[in-house]
Amino acid sequence: MALLEMKHIRKSFDGLEVIRDISLQVDQGEVLSIIGPSGSGKSTMLRCATMLETIDAGEIWYLGEKTAWVEPDGTMVYPKGERLKKAHSCFGLVFQNFNLFPHFSVLKNIVDPMVHNQKKPKAEAVKEAMDLLGRMGLADKADAYPCQLSGGQSQRVAIARALALNPQVLFFDEPTSALDPELTGEVLKVIRSLAELHIAMVIVTHEMNFAKEISDHVIFMDKGMIEVEGSSEEVFSAKNDRMKAFFGKLEH
Amino acid sequence: MSFQVMMQQLGSGLLRSIHIFALTLLFSLPLGLLVSFGRMSKNRIIRSIVWIYISVMRGTPLMLQLLAVYFGPFYIGGLKLGTMWRFTAIIIAFSVNYAAYFAEIYRSGIESMPPGQYEAARILGYSRTSTFFRIILPQVIKRILPSVTNEVITLVKDTSLAFSLAYAEMFTIAKQIAAKETSFMPFLAAALFYYVFNAIVAFGMERIEKSLNYYT
Amino acid sequence: MKKILAGVLCTAMAASLLGMSSFADETEAAGNGLAEDGKFVVGFDAEYPPYGYMDDNGDYTGFDLELAAAVCDLEGWELVARPIDWDSKDMELGSGNIDCIWNGFTMNGREDSYTFSVPYVDNSQVIVTAEDTGIASLDDLAGKIVGVQADSAALSLLEDGGDQADLGATFGELQQFGDYNTAFAELQAGSLDAVAIDIGVANYQIAGREGYVILDEYLNSEQYAVGFKLGNDALCGIINADLATLLENGTFDEIAAKYEDMGIPADMLCLAESLGVEAETEADA
Repeated sequence: MALLEMKHIRKSFDGLEVIRDISLQVDQGEVLSIIGPSGSGKSTMLRCATMLETIDAGEIWYLGEKTAWVEPDGTMVYPKGERLKKAHSCFGLVFQNFNLFPHFSVLKNIVDPMVHNQKKPKAEAVKEAMDLLGRMGLADKADAYPCQLSGGQSQRVAIARALALNPQVLFFDEPTSALDPELTGEVLKVIRSLAELHIAMVIVTHEMNFAKEISDHVIFMDKGMIEVEGSSEEVFSAKNDRMKAFFGKLEH
Repeated sequence: MSFQVMMQQLGSGLLRSIHIFALTLLFSLPLGLLVSFGRMSKNRIIRSIVWIYISVMRGTPLMLQLLAVYFGPFYIGGLKLGTMWRFTAIIIAFSVNYAAYFAEIYRSGIESMPPGQYEAARILGYSRTSTFFRIILPQVIKRILPSVTNEVITLVKDTSLAFSLAYAEMFTIAKQIAAKETSFMPFLAAALFYYVFNAIVAFGMERIEKSLNYYT
Repeated sequence: MKKILAGVLCTAMAASLLGMSSFADETEAAGNGLAEDGKFVVGFDAEYPPYGYMDDNGDYTGFDLELAAAVCDLEGWELVARPIDWDSKDMELGSGNIDCIWNGFTMNGREDSYTFSVPYVDNSQVIVTAEDTGIASLDDLAGKIVGVQADSAALSLLEDGGDQADLGATFGELQQFGDYNTAFAELQAGSLDAVAIDIGVANYQIAGREGYVILDEYLNSEQYAVGFKLGNDALCGIINADLATLLENGTFDEIAAKYEDMGIPADMLCLAESLGVEAETEADA
């Protein structure tokens, strides 16, 4: 059974169709990268998958359960109550801009959702959070506030915060785009280490070498459609004109 | 009248002023939050009603509102006003007036919050209510505190308007003593009382601001 | 959120209606014509010594309030001295928050708006100036700036339609002020040339200050009485009878003696006269 299935998704903003009939699938432990030029609909795709955006057509399934769909009359439907909650609890999202809570300490950023939303005992939550921070190399920053962290540190905290809720699939929305070039390395290293743990990941990124190296599956999107799709080697060696144009621009 | 009696009288007036001040804040701060929700409501009717309410409250003198709240039930509704109504009317008029100002301050603070905070909270499983009270409101409070301080200090001075409903707060007492003594001294004393009152309020607000300075 | 808001608004409305109706219950409670049972609520301007003011101990007193207290003693009522904003006196009286205005209240010219008791003080409106201004008569006021308290008897006298409107027209400007302290400060500072006020108040103010005089020529003479809501003859009748009793048993003169040096000399009292006149009228009828 697939972890996530998106079927024939469409999405328009003000009459402009940014996602045109896209389907994709993510299996347990699989790493999927979505690459493509700016404005190709990659991030919107991710926001639809995490239910931050509604969809205009299609269906989204998590763990074999339908969690978003469009009725024949055009209205979009989420399941009610517990079923929606369950769907939400299977995924986490790491934002481009981290979106840490500035009024919470690093530790509380991680612990508060565990205690408040997952009802974990506080002591247990703190222990888990400290373990995660240690794995991120940030154990000494537990009492710091987000404003005292570098971009790379902030993003690592955000990753720890997402991991703490034990998601089965973790989405990354251009996780290194807001960082200075010298800080991207530390974040990519952390993401790589997660792949070894066999957590499923969906990564929207501009880091081509990184995507090539880490992905089981790669999707190249352009103008709201999947242009090329396949294993890492297949995609990066494909002879697609649009892809060539895209890589050509990246090199300059 | 001896200096001591004058100070005692002004002091009792000050207590009445503080009474108005404290009750007004107690009611208008939460009410303002509620009004700001109405102002930002998706329902067009609620939004318009609240818009009208805010514009009337900010567009007419507080003294007029005091008279309207106090005498309105009698002259419009033909209802007899009990003895308790005088003070109640003052607190209602002040609270309803200040809630309008606070609502606009809350609104500006809430609207200045980046959408990413809501999105992160949603992904992390916070309900809408917890998102607001745990994530958004604490940050909003920090952002709006300087504007709130301004209003609170204005409120200290506005308490003297309660005289239009014959409520003997400090400024009224000062005027009465001044009339009796044919002297301006009581006004000086009253000014000093107001200044000290405001200095304490400003100090308290500054302490709160500082206590929120641990993050930016 | 919408539902919560709507709920709260409805609750608030319901609560305010309930609140009002609880006030409504009191409407018909008054049996003796008083606003509150057993309480005689006197509205007065606490910045109007010697008739109503705050005394050395911080209590409200004055010639008029002492008279009101004596009436309450006779009737077994509880006196409530309620200082009011003079500008709101009609609303306070009209809505029944106070039973009467008893506060050096000029009856002349206001007969159509209030029910008045028998007059008890002969008052005059006079002109006060600083000693060194060279103003000696009413004619000297031509072109001068004259101050008058807002909503006062002196104002209605000097305004269009008043008995001294012609004199008022000769003034450079008729300027309204809120309280006497400010007016006297303006006199001193020279931004006012003269002030038109009640003689009793003038006496009191001048006694506490240096360098002011009252012009020998008065603007008029008028009378003070207790003002009731128009048509409240029942309460007015009780007060009239009590005033007669107080005159008879000497209480009125006792109280008046205390204020002789505070701006109300004996020659201003007219209760005996007005009661006598009334007695004659009754005898004629």
